[in-house]
Amino acid sequence: MGQPVPLSSLRPRERGRVVSIAGGWGAARRLMEMGILPGEVVEVLSNSFGPIVIRVKGVTFALGRGLASRVLVEVVD
Amino acid sequence: MRELLIGLAGSPNVGKSTLFNRMTGGNVHVANWAGVTLQRFEGVLTHGGVRLRIVDLPGIYSLSARDPGERIARDFIIRERPDALILVVDATSLEKSLYLAVSALELYGRVVIALNMMDAAEKRGIHVNAEGLEGRLGVPVVPISALKGIGIGKLLRAVMEVAEGRSGRKEPLRVDYDGLERFIARLERVLREGGLEGYPTRWAAVRLLEGDDALLEEISRENPGVADEALRLREEARRELAADPESLTISSRYELIEELLRENVRRVGLSSPSLEEALDSLLLHPMAGPLASISLIMATFLMIFTLNTGFPANIIMRAMGLGDLADLMESYSLTGLLGSLFDTLSSLLASTLRSLGLDDFSVGLISEGILGSLGTLLSFIPLLLITYMILGALQDSGVFPRAATSLDSFFRRFGLSGRSFFPAAVGLGCSVPAVVATRGLEDEEERILVGMTEPFIPCQARLIVLVAIAAAAFPEPLLQASLMLSIYLIGILMFLISSKLLRLILFGSRGAPELLMELPPYHVPSMRVVWWYAKANTLHFLRKAGLIIVLVGALTWLALNTGPAGYSGDLSGSFASMIGGLLAPALSPAGLNDWRIALALEAGFVAKEGLLVVFSSLSGTPDPVAAIRAMGMTPLRAASLALLMSFYVPCVATLSTILSELRRVKYVLIAVLMELSVAFLLSSLIHLIGSILGFD
Repeated sequence: MGQPVPLSSLRPRERGRVVSIAGGWGAARRLMEMGILPGEVVEVLSNSFGPIVIRVKGVTFALGRGLASRVLVEVVD
Repeated sequence: MRELLIGLAGSPNVGKSTLFNRMTGGNVHVANWAGVTLQRFEGVLTHGGVRLRIVDLPGIYSLSARDPGERIARDFIIRERPDALILVVDATSLEKSLYLAVSALELYGRVVIALNMMDAAEKRGIHVNAEGLEGRLGVPVVPISALKGIGIGKLLRAVMEVAEGRSGRKEPLRVDYDGLERFIARLERVLREGGLEGYPTRWAAVRLLEGDDALLEEISRENPGVADEALRLREEARRELAADPESLTISSRYELIEELLRENVRRVGLSSPSLEEALDSLLLHPMAGPLASISLIMATFLMIFTLNTGFPANIIMRAMGLGDLADLMESYSLTGLLGSLFDTLSSLLASTLRSLGLDDFSVGLISEGILGSLGTLLSFIPLLLITYMILGALQDSGVFPRAATSLDSFFRRFGLSGRSFFPAAVGLGCSVPAVVATRGLEDEEERILVGMTEPFIPCQARLIVLVAIAAAAFPEPLLQASLMLSIYLIGILMFLISSKLLRLILFGSRGAPELLMELPPYHVPSMRVVWWYAKANTLHFLRKAGLIIVLVGALTWLALNTGPAGYSGDLSGSFASMIGGLLAPALSPAGLNDWRIALALEAGFVAKEGLLVVFSSLSGTPDPVAAIRAMGMTPLRAASLALLMSFYVPCVATLSTILSELRRVKYVLIAVLMELSVAFLLSSLIHLIGSILGFD
């Protein structure tokens, strides 16, 4: 368990447990309602430039970089 | 007959539209939700002697009322109080799709849950205990397959039972919010004392603690004291629990869902989706992804183009010396076939009318003016139908969201999101379905922008005129191709730049919203779904734009064929040529001060092909290339005309579609003014530069 890092910094195939989501009513809530909740494990499928693609609760999402950088995760193996 | 109001709700990609079409059989009425550009679909079916009026609510993930779709769904449930609410969930992905169901059950008890894609779930080894879920949620849970039509009768019976109060919940569902409960109880007391009406008290208390701005605003209008108290309690809860109340409530709902699934779902031998992974590693690849997406969609559209007009296969065949084959392709393309059908009908009708003793004017008006405009209208149908079918198939297969993802960072530079790629690509075929395709854009501002700027992208009709102009002015195929390519590049560039500028001007500097989009599993598109989609949209276009196109078409015929001396049947003495004479001096900066060109541009307003028709009848040659040469086309004049023709104004069909989709005359005017000024500036600029360089 290391220091929390933004979800946007994870490499493909890496997984992170959500620690917290920064941002107001809009962004954070939208993410949480789609299942990207504190405690949830998120797997990164692809991450280069542009949106990152993640899998959470069995569903695949494309997530803009700005949104992804608000999600703080700790890397799990 | 007794009538029941039924709402149909569900998250995106759970098969809600398929179920809606399955139940209503495509017998659908389209209207708009008040105040937004989202469409309200209503369908009627009769079941056991009762009329069920089914309202298809927008696809949403929750009832938070943050975006127009969520607000519409929530207002519908609260204000219209449907006799029953069908909530569609995806049996293959229950964890995600049950969230909306739980949120809705907290608000409303008259719910039936349609457990869709049961067949697919069983195949993937997911077994769902519907009775178990039913027992826990207290409302009927009916396994169905909307696609195959399994379980629909049972679903309707359950809907009737809930509507008649024989099953379903009397009270909304209570989710256990643990530490937040005491704040909920306190706020409930405040709300009851404040005399809050119209909402279940517990639901309103939870929403207010979660920070629901829409609800708070509504309450503060009537009862500012209650609103202040709600805000204070929210702050207190946040402080004492050391967490945002909304993260607690959302987690609690997901905990309940996880518990439900632990008890009622068994998974055996899940197969690994390896093909999906392979496809995703291509389509989502940083370099190959955008290329693959663009090539895939372009290839599909080129196929549509060829079916419709013979282009571009005809050009390629001509270049290979296969002129006869190219002619054959053109005459057997859908546009060619429809065109010759209407020519035959028109002359048949004309001779019948003449034998009935009608004068030339009436014969002309009916057989050319009215029937001709009907022909223009109908010539859109194959194009629209096919475009919509491809569009539907790409959406239904899961390819489109991947393409939008991989192109997002490019479009973001211009204030748009990757989702805008789709209307832009459709625009290469026809601007009408392209403007309609802006419905796929989640953000209202982006939708308005693209609706106005998309007509910059040259459509097929303009392509036909462009090919003729290029061929008339340049003997060398290379120069022809460069002219056409330049126009396309300018058009696409103008689309992007004007989107960026308009966003700044109309909406301030905010960029496109960040992408947050589900990438549903790939699957083979269902022909039935694709057909429903194409049919509904094409009929919608005919109803909305049909009358305007026929009216403007008939009026244009009158302007072209009558003059101060009455019916002439001759262009040169017509009202239109007089107007052309008046307008022509305005074209002199572009080097096109010629009443015949002004006249052709007038006709091109109805449909861009109209330019060629006017040139042909003015010069008396049926060959459009020779007709344009007869107008005295130097290379410079050709370049100027190509620019002017491509951008001077969107055609009538496009403008009426912009109006019906964006619902503001203002947006139509902006679109026209923007195009008009770009067309004039560019064509004048090229004329100026060309003249300085010594061309004429």
